[in-house]
Amino acid sequence: MTGVPTLNPFSPEAASIAHLFVAILLVMFSIFALVATLVTVAIIRYRDREGAVEARQEFGNPRLEIIWTVLPALLLVAIFIFTVRTIHASDPPVSGRAPDLRVIGHQWWWEADYLKSGIVAANEIHIPVGTPILLEVESADVIHDFWVPELGRKIDAIPGHPNHIWISAEKPGTYLGTCAEFCGNQHAWMRIVVIAQRPADFAAWQRRQLSVPPVPTAGVAAQGAQLFRDQTCVNCHTISGTPANQRIGPDLTHLAGRGTIAAGAAADTPANLFKWLKDPNSIKPETHMPNFQLTDAQARALVAYMETLK
Amino acid sequence: MPKAKLAVSLFILSEANFFLLLIIAYVFYHSYPGAGPTAATALNPLRTGLFSILLFASSATMIMAAAGYRARAHRATLWWLLATVMLGALFLCGQALEYAGLYQRGIAVNRNLFATTFFTLTGFHGLHVFIGLVAIAIVAGLAATRRLVGSEREADAFEAVGIYWHFVDAVWVVIFSIVYLWAIL
Amino acid sequence: MSGLAVRVRAGEPSEAAAHRGLLAWVASVDHKQIGIMYMLSVLLFFALGGVEALLIRIQLAVPNNHLLDPDTFNQIFTMHGTTMIFLVVMPMLAGMSIYAIPLMIGARDVAFPRLNAMSFWLQLFGGILLYFSFFAGGAPNAGWFSYAPLSEPAYSFSNGLTYWVLALTCLGISSIAGAINMIVTIITLRVPGQTIRRLPLFVWMTLVNSFLILMALPVLNGALMLLLVDRLLNAHVFTPAFGGSALLWQHYFWGFGHPEVYIMILPAFGMISEVIPVFSGKPIYGYGFVAASTVAIAFLSFTVWAHHMFAVGMGHVYDLFFVFTSMAIAVPTGVKIFNWTVTLYHGRIRFTTSMMFALSFIVMFTIGGLTGVSFAVIPIDWQLTDTYYLVAHFHYVLFGGTALAIFAGLYYWFPKISGRMLDERIGRWHFWLTVSGLNLTFFLMHPLGMMGMPRRVYTYPDLPGWAILNMLSTIGAFVLLASVLVFLWNIYRSLTAGAIAGDNPWDAWTLEWATSSPPPPENFALVPPVNGRRPLWDLKYPDRADERVEAALEG
Repeated sequence: MTGVPTLNPFSPEAASIAHLFVAILLVMFSIFALVATLVTVAIIRYRDREGAVEARQEFGNPRLEIIWTVLPALLLVAIFIFTVRTIHASDPPVSGRAPDLRVIGHQWWWEADYLKSGIVAANEIHIPVGTPILLEVESADVIHDFWVPELGRKIDAIPGHPNHIWISAEKPGTYLGTCAEFCGNQHAWMRIVVIAQRPADFAAWQRRQLSVPPVPTAGVAAQGAQLFRDQTCVNCHTISGTPANQRIGPDLTHLAGRGTIAAGAAADTPANLFKWLKDPNSIKPETHMPNFQLTDAQARALVAYMETLK
Repeated sequence: MPKAKLAVSLFILSEANFFLLLIIAYVFYHSYPGAGPTAATALNPLRTGLFSILLFASSATMIMAAAGYRARAHRATLWWLLATVMLGALFLCGQALEYAGLYQRGIAVNRNLFATTFFTLTGFHGLHVFIGLVAIAIVAGLAATRRLVGSEREADAFEAVGIYWHFVDAVWVVIFSIVYLWAIL
Repeated sequence: MSGLAVRVRAGEPSEAAAHRGLLAWVASVDHKQIGIMYMLSVLLFFALGGVEALLIRIQLAVPNNHLLDPDTFNQIFTMHGTTMIFLVVMPMLAGMSIYAIPLMIGARDVAFPRLNAMSFWLQLFGGILLYFSFFAGGAPNAGWFSYAPLSEPAYSFSNGLTYWVLALTCLGISSIAGAINMIVTIITLRVPGQTIRRLPLFVWMTLVNSFLILMALPVLNGALMLLLVDRLLNAHVFTPAFGGSALLWQHYFWGFGHPEVYIMILPAFGMISEVIPVFSGKPIYGYGFVAASTVAIAFLSFTVWAHHMFAVGMGHVYDLFFVFTSMAIAVPTGVKIFNWTVTLYHGRIRFTTSMMFALSFIVMFTIGGLTGVSFAVIPIDWQLTDTYYLVAHFHYVLFGGTALAIFAGLYYWFPKISGRMLDERIGRWHFWLTVSGLNLTFFLMHPLGMMGMPRRVYTYPDLPGWAILNMLSTIGAFVLLASVLVFLWNIYRSLTAGAIAGDNPWDAWTLEWATSSPPPPENFALVPPVNGRRPLWDLKYPDRADERVEAALEG
């Protein structure tokens, strides 16, 4: 079931849902088989053919009616009880704890603010393996929905209505997720990656995120850094250690360390970055990132600068 | 069963749900006040209260008109109908005064959530009053030109108009209580 | 009064008889002509909604597709949903009720023929208004439930959403007027002897359904008016950035939207409850339970709205209330499935195309119903809501349920409407293409959702298994296209060269079969006496009349 993340859980919360789901699928299949069999048997036995008996004029049987009202009702009561139990297992209470991580949905990317360390990431969330992390999920504009099926339930990111869920992963690995509430043109490319790391690796990642990348002083990369300041890039983006500190678009301080750009729309390679800077619509149509009509030389310089942002 | 009365009863059932929704919106934002004017600071409960009495009185005159119609006293019917139209129209004038006062103080529909839900709720009620007035005026016109014949179908239609008018009044009782009385109590 | 025929109760006198040609239709207040016009308008909008569905499936056939740009795709799926719900399913059910119900209760027209005409023309106007948005800067693009704040001008700045609001308001008013007309017709114009316990089940369910429309549509209209104030007068009822609430819209919308789901299925239940008994040669099993469960569904449908909102974070206590009600509503639905199935037993089943559609309805709708229950199990909803599993679920309800029932009803009543039979051999092609296309298109969406594919995406990454399932689903959509073309061919052939139907080709027993096919303008010369639920059966087998058999069973 590796291709089916909802049945392939990597957290206790997701596992509780998957177990219940398998059980319910079996119940559903049994009822379907019952109805299909009843219809099929009737079709075969009572079809109109030569020598078939006259239809029997009957009007019903209250006792039977009560049976097929009560039995399904009892089955539903049982399902209800399991539902209640799984609700608490799959969505444990938060009980007033301060969140570890604030995830903010934007049209069309995810911001991740680590509230204790001050790290600001985008579209890629790193977590230490085996440790439950409390997420606060919000939105900067319209309603989005945070969903990483292998790690558990989805939760809406609603402006003015912060929500909280726990996420954790039992094994190191990369878990794919996506925005699951329609949020406009690029709902499709608003993907999330959760990377669960061993504690040592996570600590190393944290250190790297907290470091300030040196501003290049020579070569094409230096031209790129200059362009970044002179062009309007600084109006939307942040790069630590430079005057760029706006948070409308993703924080680019450690862009080169990410796997993808534009919330999963393309791999984070110099070629794709070049394409993105020249014409963002070619990678992610109708994105909010404007086309600045950069020359090839300008775009190359910016890419060179971006590549230094490790 | 009289068809028009049944149809209007069903219609006001539907309309009641419509108003319920607008009332919920008003009450919802009353509980989460933002900045700006509120019912307590912006409205004039005394004046609107007086105009409301006129609207409630119009229900009484409508009942009198119906009684006159049943007694085939067409002249009395006409006068009571005209009185109803006049009282209803005066109520709308009161609403216009309220709106004008709010506009003068810069309180338009998009000022804040109180203003939006207040204007939407009372505006739709005003529209219903207006439609009721048109219906009653048509009946009054028929009475004035001596075209009321007293058929069963006509009696059904007459009563249907009355039911609608009482409904419009009843909705105002609720709106007045929630919007005005709640603000001053 | 046995043996004595009864004179028809008159509605308002028909004025259209004086006109000829096209004007006889445009100026018509005759329920049969208006019913047919409803169905013809549905044909137009079904073609549009179907083309939109095909465009969606073509775009999604392969991963990373750039054929349609995202905004166009969003407009298309918004229009597909809005069209199929408001301009296909609702008017189709309305049209069939308007045509059939006065005949089934032995009346000569509906209670308010002119109001009936207004409902139709307002419905058509609403549809045209909605589609005019394409020429006025772009169609609505926020999905059929137009969640705020995405539907607010700050995020949807073309006029499309405003057209959507205005069009849906027209359609809502039309539906409410139609519902009032239907209720008054059924309550006041029944032929003497047809008590409420003798009503055909299609009439019963239309009656209940009309009350649902009456109570649910004003909820939509109220919400639409507030959205309109937001969009046109710069207010902020649903914009959180200015103190409004995005969740209030969801509560309003689903307060309408969930009853709406039942509005789209109850009349379908009614048709199935007519077709299955007739072609089984015996009365419906458990008439009282089928009717009562409809009423139960109608009441419960107003208590389940927030099960569309389990992902918004309402808190577990609220969640559990809606889990409870949502499971409760499954019980009366199950009662119906069992009654239809058991009606088949001890019958003599004639496999007409109509009956085949009705039988497949039982099985297909069961799939939609069961996946519906899985959404009431809240943790499963938390995984699967807003994925393709949900798309599969509601298409099994609306296509596997409502559409199959409508086909069953059309094959059943078409001879009455046109006077000619539909071809059974072509009908079989239609049936098998529909059922295989439906399962190929929609069944595969269950695994797609479980694999993590969200709904309403204009394209998707090439993850393992996604491409092949999507491609197969797209092929299924073209099989459905073929099935629709076969159906249209069948209608065309029937109208030009179909066998003459006669008054009662199916040996059915409700009153519409007691008059000629098509019925005369005044519907009936004489209505047979109604002493039970199956007046024509009683007339044919006086010694085995339902009353006598029931009395004998009880005695």
